[in-house]
Amino acid sequence: MAEETKPAAAAPPKPAPPPGPPPPKNPGMVTFTIDGREAVVKPGTNVIEAAASVGVSIPYYCWHKRLSIAANCRMCLVEMSNAPGGKLMPACQMTAAEGVAVKTDSPKVKDQQRATLEFLLVNHPVDCPICDQSGECKLQDYYFQYNTTASRLDLPKVKLGKRVRLGSLVVLDQERCILCTRCVRFMSEVRKNPQLGVDARGSHSFIATAPGQPLDDRYSGNVVDLCPVGALTSTDFRFRGRVWFLSSARSICGGCARGCNVFLDYMRDGTYRYRPRENEQVNQEWMCDEGRLSYKPMNDGRALEARVGKGKAARSAAVAEGAAVLKRHAGQGTLAWLASPTASLEDLLAAALLARDGLKLSEVYVGGRGDGWEDDFLRRADQNPNRAGLALVARAFGLAVKPAADLAAAVASGKVKAVWAVGAEIPSPELAATLARAEALVVQAVNEGELASAATVLLPASPAAESDGTFVNFQGRPQRFELAYWPRGESLPHWALASELGRALGLTSRWTSARQVFEDLGRRVAGDLPGFEWNSLPSVDRRKGLVPLAAGTVDGRLPGHRERMPLDGSGNVEWSRLPNP
Amino acid sequence: MAKDTDNLLVVPAAPAESPLDAPFPSKRMLVNLGPSHPAMHGTVRAVVELDGETIHGMKLDIGFLHRGFEKSCENVTWTQVFPYTDRLNYVSSIMNNVGYAMAVEKLCDLEVPERAQYLRVLTSELHRMCDHLTLVSAMGLELGAMTVLIYGMEARDLIWDRLTELCGARLTSNYARVGGVSRDMPEGWGEKVERTLERTAEMVDEIDRLLTRNRIVIDRCRGTGVISRADAIDYGFTGPCLRASGEPYDVRKATPYLVYDRLDFDIPVGTNGDNFDRYLMRMEELKQSDRIVRQCLAQMQPGAIASDDPRFVLPPKPEVYGSIEGAMAHFKIIMEGIKVPPGEAYACVEAANGELGFYAVSDGSGRPYKLGVRAPGWNMLMALPQIMEGRMLADLIPTFDTVNMIGGEVEQ
Repeated sequence: MAEETKPAAAAPPKPAPPPGPPPPKNPGMVTFTIDGREAVVKPGTNVIEAAASVGVSIPYYCWHKRLSIAANCRMCLVEMSNAPGGKLMPACQMTAAEGVAVKTDSPKVKDQQRATLEFLLVNHPVDCPICDQSGECKLQDYYFQYNTTASRLDLPKVKLGKRVRLGSLVVLDQERCILCTRCVRFMSEVRKNPQLGVDARGSHSFIATAPGQPLDDRYSGNVVDLCPVGALTSTDFRFRGRVWFLSSARSICGGCARGCNVFLDYMRDGTYRYRPRENEQVNQEWMCDEGRLSYKPMNDGRALEARVGKGKAARSAAVAEGAAVLKRHAGQGTLAWLASPTASLEDLLAAALLARDGLKLSEVYVGGRGDGWEDDFLRRADQNPNRAGLALVARAFGLAVKPAADLAAAVASGKVKAVWAVGAEIPSPELAATLARAEALVVQAVNEGELASAATVLLPASPAAESDGTFVNFQGRPQRFELAYWPRGESLPHWALASELGRALGLTSRWTSARQVFEDLGRRVAGDLPGFEWNSLPSVDRRKGLVPLAAGTVDGRLPGHRERMPLDGSGNVEWSRLPNP
Repeated sequence: MAKDTDNLLVVPAAPAESPLDAPFPSKRMLVNLGPSHPAMHGTVRAVVELDGETIHGMKLDIGFLHRGFEKSCENVTWTQVFPYTDRLNYVSSIMNNVGYAMAVEKLCDLEVPERAQYLRVLTSELHRMCDHLTLVSAMGLELGAMTVLIYGMEARDLIWDRLTELCGARLTSNYARVGGVSRDMPEGWGEKVERTLERTAEMVDEIDRLLTRNRIVIDRCRGTGVISRADAIDYGFTGPCLRASGEPYDVRKATPYLVYDRLDFDIPVGTNGDNFDRYLMRMEELKQSDRIVRQCLAQMQPGAIASDDPRFVLPPKPEVYGSIEGAMAHFKIIMEGIKVPPGEAYACVEAANGELGFYAVSDGSGRPYKLGVRAPGWNMLMALPQIMEGRMLADLIPTFDTVNMIGGEVEQ
């Protein structure tokens, strides 16, 4: 103890300690520079993401934030001051380190990027004109951005399989493949179902499935989205449309109660494909194959004309007839409301108002599609996107929720003589057959089907692509979708049909847009949807004048003639005055 | 013409010069000249307020050829603008092509190969001859000399035939490209051009003999439509109309572009600033353009007709069809447009009517963010009411001819 209290001056001068690493500039964070810009990121962030945080983009093919790091494409090589021997380092694999200087635009890096692309293109076929990826292909983008030199190749290119059918949804062109192995890693890491692998060696390597084992995973479509080039294409979308003619709307998949966020790609009034849209809480950025194909009923088998009995009728006449039927039965206690949980929240709010105030009903029978398969990844057994929304609406309007089977029993027993169906989806054909025995069947149907063909009054309804709206998924999460194109044929969204019926029955509510429906009635369910902002996505009457396309077009072109424009210049859309295509 | 109705009052007769003169009271009259009138040079309406035959006010009503040029250009790729520029001064479209290309090349910092520069100058000068021939012969026609029109049209169509052989169109040439020109000269084209120039020179001489010492032409043009040098500068005159007033400004000499600094040619300058001098400017420039074209043909060396910078210029077709690199570059340039670096640039050429300027703003995307045009005809047109104030109605016709208003470029 005594020694320690000696004056320090008496001790011989100590040698200076060897210089350790300097203290971090920002404690708890890593501070370094990228092209001279200072970046402060969390420890463990890789250089690609760190660079993106300060607006520097580093090109890459094989890296994907939800997959393991392969670092095999060599596109992201950058100069790092801590690299041994001044080697270029893969930015996807290197984590940001304190005080390091990263250079992404030095001549050495540029030359490497050019060389990498030249190498990747050595065996790439001249396929752009016939390739589905053309227009959203990272080879095209990066070649134009980082290479632009002509080919020096004077040897024949390696020939491999041009159309290898990997599974029902995926076709592989082995010549176009750059072997980034994103698909392989997706199958083994995300799906834990390693159905894809790399066969052979060197420039003859290719992606393949095991012999006799097709790519039959229920999420196989995601490898098409993951593929940065045109090697993996979708059998469904292949050769059906050029991507630069497509526009995108932000939508919600209606295939099950998960409500995966999607881009709905459309041209004129047809939907061409769904692509998953990132939402960490719902679907990350994946979706199942069945959901991916669930856009098809929006195009095909649609009920586009109103009918009274078996004969075609003007929609106004059908609405008048339907209203008369409903009015006749409303007072008698012989009327029932069958609602489909495939309809949007706005549809159900408008319909519930009519059911309670116009028709004096106190219960709602729930139709919708029957249960399907379920797994522990995304898919839910409930194949209806808005069952939770229907429950909220029923509670808000004090309506008792009953299954469709009860309605079938009531119809069979003769207690219910008239049924008003909002949405013709029904769990089983037997139920539809029973309901068809009702004296009057007023059906608002998107598609033809058992219930629609049995309807005494059929009103054509529009699906999600043709209206703004909201689905509440099984987690209770309200998710907005936006209109892609105007309703086809004579159809209108359910809320607009309910509004027309309500007007015929003397209700005063008049809405010209889904947004107005929600503004008018949404507060009744707002307590169950904390933090929900209806205006988080654009809608048709949000702004006056032109409504720009949701996500633009793939090639960044202006929307041109494809804007959605209110017809009367007021900014309000008169749904009943929309032109027929 | 806010005072339309006021002017329709009876104007007191001018004091009689001699006691024998009868009083001649007259009303002021509003006369519509055009928009479709045989003596109006293009589709434009002039509302002229007349006292007798004296012009006491004039209002020009333009817009009959308005196409929304500047706005339309924002919706197409940089390359797709070229056909739109053809429709500015449609008689001499290549000069429009070249002016626009030069603005974009300034933004891209792009070097144009020498042969392409010669081709641009050569075709520009051929088109300048077309423009001047059109003006001179139309002026002759509108002053009653129909023959001149026939001769002028023959010469002009000969030149247009040559340009058709070069770029496939008489009028809408769409010839220049960012980084060069679209096509090289066909085989034996140079000799054909020289023969055409000889024939054209004969025609020009014929027209010269018909008009320049013609009593009617001199009476109607000399001393009419006068604008002073100071006024011309204030109005922003350029081109032959400015030079006719005595100001020797020519973009080709003031800031030589392309290969003009290697060519030997003169700039005619007038003194009176009247219609006759403006006519003479054109006649002389026809001869000077002839000289320039011949020099170009003599000086041109074989070589590339477009830059080989793959960022801005399409790869050669064999590469597009035969290599993935070419296919990709072609796809990106066609589908998304060349990526012009962000910035703004102004480039101008000496077009037939004066300084034709293009002001281009890029935000780095494949389409112009903004494109502005300085149309030379606009300034001359703007001065017309002042020039004509207090002059005779008959003087309006040659004056309108020599200022050479072109609806396509004035009304963008």
